[in-house]
Amino acid sequence: MIQVYNFTKIYKLSKKQMAKQKTKSNIKKAVDNISFSAKKGEIFGLLGPNGAGKTTTLRSIATLLKATDGTILVNGYDVVKDSTKVRRSIGFLTNELKMDTHFTPGYTMAFFGSLHGLSRDKIERRTEELFSLFGIHAFADKKIGDLSTGMKQKLSIAVSLVHDPEVVIFDEPTNGLDIITARTVTDYLRALKEQGKLVIVSTHIMAVASRLCDKLAIMINGRIVAEGTIDKILKDTKTADLEDAFFELYKETAKGGNADV
Amino acid sequence: MFNVILRKELKRVFTDKRLIFSSFILPAVSIFLTYIVLGMMFSNMVGDIREHKASVYVQNSPGSFREYYDTISNKVNMNIEFIEADKIESIKDSILTGEADLLVEFENNFEAKTAGYLDREVPPEIKTYYNPSEDYSKDARGNFIDQVLNGYEREILADRFGNINYTTAFVIDRTNEEGVIVNEEKAKGKALSMIVPMLIGIILFSSAMGIGLDTIAGEKERGTMSTLLLTPVKRETIALGKVAGLAVVAVISALCSFVGIMASMPFASNMLMAGGSGGIPEFTLGQYGQLLLIMLSLVGVNVGLVCLLSVRARSVKEAGSYVAPVFMIVMVAAFSTMFASGTPETYKFAIPVYGSISAIKAVLNFELGIDQFMVTVISSVVVTLILIKAITNTFNNEKIMLNA
Repeated sequence: MIQVYNFTKIYKLSKKQMAKQKTKSNIKKAVDNISFSAKKGEIFGLLGPNGAGKTTTLRSIATLLKATDGTILVNGYDVVKDSTKVRRSIGFLTNELKMDTHFTPGYTMAFFGSLHGLSRDKIERRTEELFSLFGIHAFADKKIGDLSTGMKQKLSIAVSLVHDPEVVIFDEPTNGLDIITARTVTDYLRALKEQGKLVIVSTHIMAVASRLCDKLAIMINGRIVAEGTIDKILKDTKTADLEDAFFELYKETAKGGNADV
Repeated sequence: MFNVILRKELKRVFTDKRLIFSSFILPAVSIFLTYIVLGMMFSNMVGDIREHKASVYVQNSPGSFREYYDTISNKVNMNIEFIEADKIESIKDSILTGEADLLVEFENNFEAKTAGYLDREVPPEIKTYYNPSEDYSKDARGNFIDQVLNGYEREILADRFGNINYTTAFVIDRTNEEGVIVNEEKAKGKALSMIVPMLIGIILFSSAMGIGLDTIAGEKERGTMSTLLLTPVKRETIALGKVAGLAVVAVISALCSFVGIMASMPFASNMLMAGGSGGIPEFTLGQYGQLLLIMLSLVGVNVGLVCLLSVRARSVKEAGSYVAPVFMIVMVAAFSTMFASGTPETYKFAIPVYGSISAIKAVLNFELGIDQFMVTVISSVVVTLILIKAITNTFNNEKIMLNA
């Protein structure tokens, strides 16, 4: 279970970043006091445009970033104080995470399995399962540097799941994947949900969100502007589909200003 | 977990043919070939100067000199030409361009002035013109004075005193066979300590630098560091695994370079030992142990510095720009020990890098005291621990590690 309480993340910008973002302020509030919770056996989606704060939120849940304010608990463990325990129970995937191109997929699975403290038997079993599922066997002995983008993405997914985590966090899970692999991934995420695991995904694609997620939090400019089941969001916004609901919320937010300081 | 990361770091290097070549084989082979070529060039230069037949021009020479020269001309490696006064300027020009080596000009009435030694205040003069920036010319002047003019002077004095034995007032060390009081091993060590400590200092740093930039900055640039940081391994363990992996690689790389130096010794000993007697001194086991500990602790400092600078950089290129000035400082520290005479004060052994290279020099000179050894090693270990602490702290800094 994940519980996010009054989470705020402020980045301090360097002069170079200030120039790049064309701002005179040296701080940027990426996430502004958000709270939500997600429980086992559901797929929770963070939906929003680029720069909404989705990735910052997921990276903070995954212990890569520390909250400026607020608390995040994963299975009851604080992501700052008990970061090692949290990392043991989550599998995190984002496009920014890459594998060493010099190694083979087989070695990479064994390496990350070892770092998660798995036995050799367990690593072999999980490798077999995940390689079969994502069709990695065909290129298991090739160097990662020689693989296509799609193959690398499949491997990244397998590596993030090698330790059979209780909580699976995927940032834009279908990005860079061909339509067949994308379908395999979304089907697998549903299967994980059926196994009682909590799956959190972020996406800016409405179709992915509406097809995959049980619950959604729509983020715009660092804030959650709507949260609940898709039906609830449609009902609250008085719209017929998610895309209309999103634009309705976006218009309302634009009237109220944004979260950037 | 430390072992898993260390093994991965080593596998990364030892299964990559390009890295093996660039980190281990290339430095060793290039040092070997460089020193062989430089050594051969040095030997050739020395041999060439020795075999060179000097072109010497003598003007206004007295008859007695010509007679004397005829008696020794087959013993000296010179081609002497007697010239008239009008050629002096053109010979000077030739000396400047290297076509002639030496011009010797006798004072007018030289013989009369030497014969009338009782009636004059100053002895007659022999002027020499040479080019000290040319080895042939400089050598020709020395040889002409030693082998020709000194003998000619003795001939004049023999005439003056009526017996050649009267021209010798004393002889230095004619029967003293024990005059040279030297510890042969120490002498060999002194020759070795001229250049080798400086080379070791530079090689140990460049070995760490060669691969260290990629170990951390490269992983950050490629995005593989974040993947590692998501595992349930403490950041300190990841940092230590990487530092240890780099240390192992740096030591092996330095050993390969050292093998290259040692292998080139037979061909380059004259140059490497600054013209010393050659040969490796017989060090005791304790001294080898001291050398090993000093070098290992120096590797710790080097690896710590390279890792700390790499971890703060966003890319290999940026890390390179941070490490380059440090490498310059290391080179200055290494070169400064080359020209230092005597053993530095004990506190100077606490200066990172400089102290270690000075200590290596002192070991080779058989002059390193136990207090100086302890100061060197403890100082390097303390600096290494401080650097490791700084590296592990940096690993916990999200802004630096994730460019957040």
